[in-house]
Amino acid sequence: MFKREKAPKKARQGRVKTPELMFLNEWAGRQSKRYRLVQLLGVVFTVAMIMQAWSLANVFSDMVIHGAFSVSILFIALTALLIRALVSFGRERLSASASRSIRYSLREKLVSHLTKLGPARLRIEEDAALSTRVYEQVDALDDYYSRYKPQLFMVSLIPCVILLAMLPVSWVAFAIFMVTAPLVIFFMILVGHKAAQANRRQFNVLAMLSNQFMDLNQGLAELKRLGRTGQAKERLSDSASAYQKTTMGVLRLAFLSTATLELFASIAIAMIALYLGLGLLEQLPWSKGVSPVSLTQAFFILLLAPEFYLPLRQLGNDYHAKQKAEAAATALLEIFNTSLSRSEEQAKEDAQTVSKPSHLSVVKTHPASLLTFYKLSWQEAGRSRLAPISNHIRTGERIWLSGESGVGKSSLLHLLLGFEEGYQGECFVEDKEFSSVDLAQWRARLAWLPQTPEWVNGSIRQNLLLGIDTPTDEALQAALTKSQCDVFIEALPDGLETKLTELGAGLSGGQMQRLSIARALLSKADVWLLDEPCSGLDEETATAVLDTLNLASKGKTLLVVSHDTHPIAWADRHWTLTHGGLHEQRIQAIA
Amino acid sequence: MSNESKLSLKRLLWANPRGFALPLFLGVVASLAGVALLGISGWFLSAAGLAGVLGTYKAFNYFLPGALVRLMAILRTAGRYGEQVFAHDHLLGLLKTLRLWVWDQRVAKDSANLHQQSRGDLLQRLVSDLDQIIRWPLVVLMPWVYATLAYLSVLVLASFISTTLLWPIIIAAVIHLLVVPYLCGHFASRAVHVGQILGTHRRSRFVSLFSALITLTIRGHWQQYAERLNELDTRQKQAELRIQKAISLGRLASYSVTIALLCSFFLLVMRYQPQTNGLSLVPGVDGAWLVALVLSVLAVNELVLPLAQSFVAQGQSQVGLRRMNQLHTDASEENIALGLPLARVKSLELINWRGYHASSGLGNKPISLKVATHETIWLRGNSGCGKSTLLASLAGDCLAEGGALVNDQRMDLYDNQDYQAQISYLPQTPYVFQQTLAANLRLGDENATEESLWEVLDAVALGDWARSLPKGLDTLLGAQGRDLSGGQRKRLVLARLLLRNAPVLLLDEPFDGLDSESIQCICTSLQRIYRPEILVFISHINSPLSEKATIINV
Repeated sequence: MFKREKAPKKARQGRVKTPELMFLNEWAGRQSKRYRLVQLLGVVFTVAMIMQAWSLANVFSDMVIHGAFSVSILFIALTALLIRALVSFGRERLSASASRSIRYSLREKLVSHLTKLGPARLRIEEDAALSTRVYEQVDALDDYYSRYKPQLFMVSLIPCVILLAMLPVSWVAFAIFMVTAPLVIFFMILVGHKAAQANRRQFNVLAMLSNQFMDLNQGLAELKRLGRTGQAKERLSDSASAYQKTTMGVLRLAFLSTATLELFASIAIAMIALYLGLGLLEQLPWSKGVSPVSLTQAFFILLLAPEFYLPLRQLGNDYHAKQKAEAAATALLEIFNTSLSRSEEQAKEDAQTVSKPSHLSVVKTHPASLLTFYKLSWQEAGRSRLAPISNHIRTGERIWLSGESGVGKSSLLHLLLGFEEGYQGECFVEDKEFSSVDLAQWRARLAWLPQTPEWVNGSIRQNLLLGIDTPTDEALQAALTKSQCDVFIEALPDGLETKLTELGAGLSGGQMQRLSIARALLSKADVWLLDEPCSGLDEETATAVLDTLNLASKGKTLLVVSHDTHPIAWADRHWTLTHGGLHEQRIQAIA
Repeated sequence: MSNESKLSLKRLLWANPRGFALPLFLGVVASLAGVALLGISGWFLSAAGLAGVLGTYKAFNYFLPGALVRLMAILRTAGRYGEQVFAHDHLLGLLKTLRLWVWDQRVAKDSANLHQQSRGDLLQRLVSDLDQIIRWPLVVLMPWVYATLAYLSVLVLASFISTTLLWPIIIAAVIHLLVVPYLCGHFASRAVHVGQILGTHRRSRFVSLFSALITLTIRGHWQQYAERLNELDTRQKQAELRIQKAISLGRLASYSVTIALLCSFFLLVMRYQPQTNGLSLVPGVDGAWLVALVLSVLAVNELVLPLAQSFVAQGQSQVGLRRMNQLHTDASEENIALGLPLARVKSLELINWRGYHASSGLGNKPISLKVATHETIWLRGNSGCGKSTLLASLAGDCLAEGGALVNDQRMDLYDNQDYQAQISYLPQTPYVFQQTLAANLRLGDENATEESLWEVLDAVALGDWARSLPKGLDTLLGAQGRDLSGGQRKRLVLARLLLRNAPVLLLDEPFDGLDSESIQCICTSLQRIYRPEILVFISHINSPLSEKATIINV
C-alpha cells in the first residue's frame, strides 16, 4: 500500500530509491513539524558555535597578548556555550519524541494490519517471529529516527557554515577544509559500502548461530539421553570461535572507515595548527617575515577545525543505524505488502457483478440451504488459490472436505470466517450475499477448530469461556462431559483452573482438541468450521477425537477439512476439492 | 568462568582481563591524545602569537610542539582504531563464553523442567540480553575510565598554572564522574527495569492473543483484548520517555557544570578592572597555558557527555544479567554420587510405579512390572491412559513415584545419567537435528563407519530413500535442510538409537504412519542384528514384534 502512495513522489524526484528508504521517509514525513523544529534548532546551534569560536578566540588572543580581555566578550562566549547546551538538549528531546511517535504509531498500525490479515498473517511468519518484527524491529528504527535523521541535516549545514566563516579569515585554512572534506566523504563511502555488505552477511551468520543454539536446545533431552551434550558444546564453541574470527574481519573493515575519518580530522587539525603557528611566527616557507593571520583569527580557525569534522564523524558512527533501519524496514514492509485489499480490477469486476441480475434464483433450488456457493473462486497475484466451486450446505449437514494441500481448502474456511474479501463468484448465507451479511452476527454463529487449537495464556476455564457469557455450572459440566474432557480435567490437581501456556501445560494434542470441542459447544455456535483437527495426532488418538466430535456435533452444521488419512465416516456428504473444482463423493464408498 | 557460578559484571571483567586491558590502554592513549591535541595546539598558537608580537620568534623552537601536535594526531587515530578492534574482539570472546555458559545451564537442568522456558523467551535472552551484557565494558566502563584519566591530566596541567584552579576541577570531576552518572542511573533504573519487564510481558501477550486471533474475532471480543495490548505499549512508551529524559537532563547538567568550571577559572585567576570593564590575569599566571587549559576542558567535556547515557546502559546490563541468572541451575542438585558405576542392565522391575508430568501431574495409574534380559514387553492401553508417560518415566525422562529396581537394586531412574547411558528411548515426537544425515546418525555412535551407517539405514528401511538423495549421507536435514515426514523422522531416530547398541530399548509407537513393508523390515532388524537385550514398546497395532511379547495393559 505504501508503494502506491509513494509512486508519484518517486516520479517527481526522478531518482531511484529503494522501497525501504521510501518507507522510512514516508514515516519520517509524519513528524515533519518536529523535524523542521529540530532543523531550526540546528541552525541556532551552528550560529552559537560560530559565535562561541569568535568570542573565545578574542578572549584567548587578548589574554595571551595583553593579559586582559573585556568582560562582555567573555559573557558572549559563555552565553554561546550555554545556548549550545540548551539547543542540544532541545534537539535531543524533540528527535527522541519524534522517533517515539513514529515508532509507536507504526506499531499500532502493524498490529491492526495483522489483525485484519487474520489467518493470512501466518503466510508471512509464525506469531512468535511476527512479535519480533512488531517489537524489536520497530524499535530498531529508533537510532535512525532519533539520531541519523537529524544528523543528516547537520552534516551538510555545519561544514558549509564553517567554510563560509573561514573564507574571509584565511584562504589556506579554507583550502585545507575544502580539500579534506570531499576526501573524507569519499573514503567513508568507499570503505563504508564494503563494510555494509560484509555487515549484512554477518547478520545472517549471527542468525544461524542462534539457530544452531536453538536447534541443539530443542533436542537437548535427546542429547542428554545419548550422552552427547559435551560434543554439542564443542560444536557451539567451534562455531562461536569461527563467528568471532569472521566478524573481526568485518569489523576491522568497518572501523577502518571510522579510522579514515579520524585520521583526516586529526591530521587536518594538526596541519592547521602547524600552519597557524608557523604563520604567527612568520616562518612559513612561502611567506617568511609576514604573518598571514592574526592571533585572533588563528584561534578562531583552530576552534572551528574540530567542529568541522565532528558531524561527519558522528554520522560515520551512526551509519550502522541506517543499515539497521533498512534491514528492519524490509521486514516491516513485508507485513504491509501482504494485503487482502482487493485490487482495482477486482473491484471493477465486483461492481459489474452487482449490476448483473443475481444468480440467486438460478441456484437457490434448495430452500433449506444455509450456505450456497456459486462459481466461487479466489485468485491471488494471478495464481488460482481456489478453483470455481458451486455447491450448497443445508442446515444441520455435516460435510467432510478433503483434497491435496494447496487446493484452497483452508482458503474456503478463511473466507467463511470473513477474513478474505477478494473472491470472485458468489457466496450466500441463507438468501443474502455474503458481503452484505452482518459480519458480527454471522461470526457469532461460528465455531473455529483449527489444526493447532487457539489458546491464550490463562486457565482452562478462562480459555473455554473466551469471549462468551459465563454459562451455568451445569452447562459447563454438560459440555465437558459431551466432549469427554471431564475425565482428564478431574485428574488435574488444579482442575479447570490449570494454567494453559503456549507449551500446553502437559496436555496431549488429543486433550487439547477435546477442549476445543468443549469450547465450541459452550459458545452455542451452530456452524462449526474445522481445519484438519486431527493432523499431528497419532492414528489412535485421531480416531478417538473424531468419535467424540461425531457425538458432540450432532445437529450442528459442520464443514470439516481433513485428509484422506483421517476419514470422517459419519459425515453426511464428502467433497473432494481439486485444482479443477469440487467433486461430490459418495459417502458409502469410503465408509 | 566456571559453570556453577552466577554471572556478575565483575566476573565478566575478570574472565579475560588481558583481553580487556589492551583495548582499555589503547582507548586511554587515544582519549588523552585527543585532549592533548587541542591543548598543545592552543598553547602552541598562543606562544607563537606572543613570540610573533614580541619579536622573539627567532629563539622560538617550533619543531618540538609541531612534532607533538602531529604525534598526538596519529596517536589519537591509531589508538581509537586499535581500541575499537581489540574491544570488539574481547566482546565477541565474552559472547562465546556467555553462550557456552547458557548451554551449561541448560544441560544442568533436569529433563522434566527443560521446557519451562518457551523458545521465544530463551531466544530473547540469548540474543538481546546477552547483547546488553557484553556491551557493558565498551559502553559503561571504558568511557568512564577515559573521562577520569582525562580529568587527571587536566589536573596536572592546572597545577602548573595555579594551584587555586585545582579545587574547582576536582569538584567538577566529582560531579561529572560520579554525581551525574549516579543520578541518571538512579532516575532511569526503575524505568529500565519496568521497560524490560513490560517488554517480555508484552511479547508473551502478543503471542498469546494472536494465537487466538480468530476465536477472539468471531466472538467479537478482539477489540477489547487488543486494547490491553495497546495499553502495555503505552506504558512501555512512558518508561522509554523517562529514560530518555534522564539521559538528556544528565547531558545538560554535565554541560552546565563545564560552563561553570570555565567561569570559575576566569574568576580565580583574573581580576576585574573597572576602568576598562575588563579582566586581567593575576601575576604569575601564563596566558598561553591558561588557553591550553580552557581548550583541554572543552575537549574533556566531549568525553564526559556520554557518561549520562552509559549509566542507563549499566542498568540495562544489570537487568540483562539478572535475566541470564534466572537460567542458572544449581549444579549441586544433580550428579549425586552414586557409588559404583552401574553394571550392564539385566533386569528392570517397577513396583507401584507411576510416571507423571511435572506441570500437570497427569500420568498413568500405578503399575508393577518386571522385565529381564531377552524379554519383550508390549504396553497397550486406550488413548490418554498415560502409557507414553510411563515409558518416558522408565527412560528417566519424566518424574515418577513408586519403586524401581535395576539389576535388583533400588535406583532413582529420573535424570540418572549412568542408567540412561544404557537406555535407548524413542519418544513419541523424536527430534532430528539440523545437521547432516551422517552427523545425526553419528550422535548414536561417534566412530561409526560409513558402512555401518548404511547398514543401519537399511535396517530401518531408509536405505533406498537415503541412496536417492543427491548428497546421500551429507544431506542437510531439518528446518533449513530437507524436511522429513513423521515416519521418516521416527525411523531416522530409531537408526541412531540402534547404532548405540544399548542393552535396553524403549520405543513409543515406532510404527505410526509406516507401511507394512517397512514395519516388517524394522521388526526383522530388531529381532536379528540389532536385537536389544530388553525391549519395551508401545503400539496400537499388531506387528511381528508382538508375537513373543508379554502384553501389559495400562
